[in-house]
Amino acid sequence: MMKWQISVDGHTVEIDPQELGSVKEVETGVYSVLLDGRSFEVRAIAAPPVLNVQAGGRRFAVEVRDPRNASRQSRAAVASGRQSVAAPMPGKVVRLLVREGDAVDVGQGLIVIEAMKMQNEMKASRAGRVAEVRVREGDTVAAGDKLVVLE
Amino acid sequence: MFRKVLIANRGEIAVRIVRALGEMNIGSVAVFSDVDRAALHVRMADEAEHIGPAPSSESYLRIDRILEAAKKHGADAIHPGYGFLSENADFAAACEAAGFVFIGPTADSIRRLGSKTAARTLAKDASVPTVPGSEEPAKDLEAARRLARELVYPVLIKASHGGGGKGMRRVDEESELDAAIREASSEAERSFRNSEVYIEKLIDKPRHIEIQIAGDRHGNLVHLGERECSLQRRHQKIVEECPSPLITAHPEMREAMGQAALRIARAVGYSSLGTVEFLADVQGDFYFLEVNTRLQVEHPVTELVTGYDLVRLQLQIAAGEKLPFQQDDIRWRGSAMECRICAEDTENNFFPSPGKIVQLREPSGPGVRLDSGVYPGWNVPIDYDPLLAKLVVWDEDRDSTIRRMLRALNEYSITGVETNLAFFREIMDDPVFQKGWLHTGFVADFFARRKPKPEAAPELELAAALAAAAAHSKNGGAGSRNQNAEGSRWLTGGRGSLLR
Repeated sequence: MMKWQISVDGHTVEIDPQELGSVKEVETGVYSVLLDGRSFEVRAIAAPPVLNVQAGGRRFAVEVRDPRNASRQSRAAVASGRQSVAAPMPGKVVRLLVREGDAVDVGQGLIVIEAMKMQNEMKASRAGRVAEVRVREGDTVAAGDKLVVLE
Repeated sequence: MFRKVLIANRGEIAVRIVRALGEMNIGSVAVFSDVDRAALHVRMADEAEHIGPAPSSESYLRIDRILEAAKKHGADAIHPGYGFLSENADFAAACEAAGFVFIGPTADSIRRLGSKTAARTLAKDASVPTVPGSEEPAKDLEAARRLARELVYPVLIKASHGGGGKGMRRVDEESELDAAIREASSEAERSFRNSEVYIEKLIDKPRHIEIQIAGDRHGNLVHLGERECSLQRRHQKIVEECPSPLITAHPEMREAMGQAALRIARAVGYSSLGTVEFLADVQGDFYFLEVNTRLQVEHPVTELVTGYDLVRLQLQIAAGEKLPFQQDDIRWRGSAMECRICAEDTENNFFPSPGKIVQLREPSGPGVRLDSGVYPGWNVPIDYDPLLAKLVVWDEDRDSTIRRMLRALNEYSITGVETNLAFFREIMDDPVFQKGWLHTGFVADFFARRKPKPEAAPELELAAALAAAAAHSKNGGAGSRNQNAEGSRWLTGGRGSLLR
């Protein structure tokens, strides 16, 4: 039988599908794994295209390369030269510190997001110019929403 | 004693109060906003009333709606919990005026101790040392500059009517002063509807040590010892313990600080529970900071070492009963420690991480107490504090307590939202923490000297891979189906395409 290639935080681990006999799902998404008499408890949540896995007090990003599916190549991350600033978590835009066309320095504050009564200032990771401001003060944003585009 | 008490709060503290009321055979009334309809405190209380939309300014801070709910349900007293309206003198007065007992000190005490500048004056008059600084709110920038120069940088800007680190800024040099004052004032205005700020000298490597006090309405006042709360992030406590390692080294400090706290309380004729906060330095000198005129988040630490139930005590005091014990009866036994379990991303500047709790395994066993406000399937709202639960453990001495805390943290698992559980495991494992060398900058220092985690053991990676393969097979391929919003949100958050 074909082996599965599994990437655990970038390390490739090969498993034989028969080894799945050592795994028992004990609660939804919670797996008890017995390996040579050692007991591990593992939690796995699908976060496509990877799995968010917790075990032994650590967290792993795990990608299962199933030989039945051709693996999808992830797209080139960001078009070169442009960089977007995304909301790390859901929240509300309380203040915009820059406008389109502004030149910014490394570390300069761009936008202030508030969630759960805490404010977080998003800073520029490099110098550049503000190409786009995609939100307005008072907007509610979801995690991953693009807020500002630098070029 | 009361027949029925309305709890003007939410989350774990509302649950804590429901429990105390249940044990005393008193009915409990919960209140809730739109997003809290399914919250644990609503499920656990005897009765519940909707008080408005999600923003706290339209629900948990609405005095009129809370009083209406209390009337409708026939409550005879109101417990404010902590945060929200708990230190609002107008609320205390409004409760009394509407015929409800406010479970806390008098409106007059709250007023006199609520302003930090007024409380500092009061402390000075009671011969309690204070941190050098202005008694008056900063009038204008020029005066602020002059004062900061006199005090010698670094200085601290603080909100006159604040707490919990809101409206607070460290200033290392004069060029930062202007911006820091503006930011602190506007944060104070937003958080406390009062923009007054003042300036004080920054004590180097201070420890945050506070004294729990309790007074009845017959003039009896006691202190229940200290809690050290030096571990803070964003000026908010995350680990608290008793005894303080500093006080273990200087045992005479407990009584000295206890008596100082009581002098301040006596000056206003304080009744109910309260906490007097101090900064202490390495030499064992201490300076008055502020008084919290309410039940404190970390009260369970004191409960575990003294054996008293502080919420029950607070209810007895509010009902006019005498303190059931005297100062000489109080004994401190063993060591207790609390970790505040929050929905936040430790690796991203402790940014809040609201969302749905997918799985939850809670610790238990010897010496472990969990005061939680959540359950599996609960959606942690974006609108409030990220505190999910307080894990509190007791053991005979500090070393055993730390080992027990680590054991409990290893049992504890929450998935669906980011939490600080892994961070606390690292802290408990940290030799500097274990030695008790604490100060309020500990967390920042910890990050600076933190080493990258060693590689995971191959068996652990194999176990993770196998479980992932099982999950993958069950889902018919993680990459294809299950493309839910939460999953992709986690991904975006974890992929580092964002700027920090």
